[in-house]
Amino acid sequence: MNNQTTDELLLDWQERVGAARQECDPQSLLDMIPYAAFIGAQAKVDDQRLLYWLDKRASNIGNPSLPAIHGGVIGGFLELAAAIEIIYSLDVAEVPKVVDFSLDYLRPGRYKTIYASCKVMRQGKKLVNVSAKAWQDDEQTPIATARCHFLI
Amino acid sequence: MAFDMKMALVRPALKYALERNGHGAALGFTLDRVERGETHLTFPYREDLVGNPITGVVHGGTIVTLLDTACGCSAMTVQKKPSVTPTMDLRLDYMRPAQPHKPIYVEAKVYRQSSNVIFCRGVAWQDDKENPIAHCVANFMKVDSQSIQFRSIALKKLRRLMPWRQNPINDVGAK
Repeated sequence: MNNQTTDELLLDWQERVGAARQECDPQSLLDMIPYAAFIGAQAKVDDQRLLYWLDKRASNIGNPSLPAIHGGVIGGFLELAAAIEIIYSLDVAEVPKVVDFSLDYLRPGRYKTIYASCKVMRQGKKLVNVSAKAWQDDEQTPIATARCHFLI
Repeated sequence: MAFDMKMALVRPALKYALERNGHGAALGFTLDRVERGETHLTFPYREDLVGNPITGVVHGGTIVTLLDTACGCSAMTVQKKPSVTPTMDLRLDYMRPAQPHKPIYVEAKVYRQSSNVIFCRGVAWQDDKENPIAHCVANFMKVDSQSIQFRSIALKKLRRLMPWRQNPINDVGAK
């Protein structure tokens, strides 16, 4: 990617994570991950928790005849949100590694903003379990729920 | 294998719908092979899809999308009247981290279909198919709605291309 060594990149990463935590700015974490910019994911601190959202954009459409957001985008967005939740709220040095990811699609993702929030269900020494939820109009009617395990 | 006329018609439509539209076009994968209940695709490495800025590994979300697309594509082709199949759920196990700067190959197969549900599984690998980077199981609903059958969608598109004719093809619903 560039000339920096892995150690330098890791130090730089830890510095930025520390700064993001201090300034309560989860968006700066997303800015470091190219995939987040690719799908257009954003984050903010909202009422004691992190709220993620994905504004509608044409390149995220999966089914043009409805139109509906691509199921893979919803999955990728929830996985990204779960990873950011861990990096931001737990004391981890490296980028968490995803082990498995399970996604239930409850409703079609209409062509409008998708919101998401996550909850760390269990934190062990090595493994973290996170559950994530995505909704559009109403938080009580989610469009998808996900559950993932990360190695930290 | 005998020549499959329906697949010969469906294949280019699927290739167009998945490779040239929306998120598929944004990702830029190629469908190498589409058979009844089986899909192979190739995805080149891209730096703007990186999920781990330290190692340069592609984000897991990309792999979710590739496997969802491949499984969905396989599910769509097994039905008597090919139509869009909504995903019910998808489970993905990451066996090993993907290596940067290498293409990802995906293969997905339908292994069972009941009257309402289509069961698929897929693998993603880089060097060795026996050593996959991810394995996935995805289930799809069979929906009995004419409006989402490929035939209806294609006819609707055709109509839009011929605005000078009010009703160029007899009612789509008529058998």
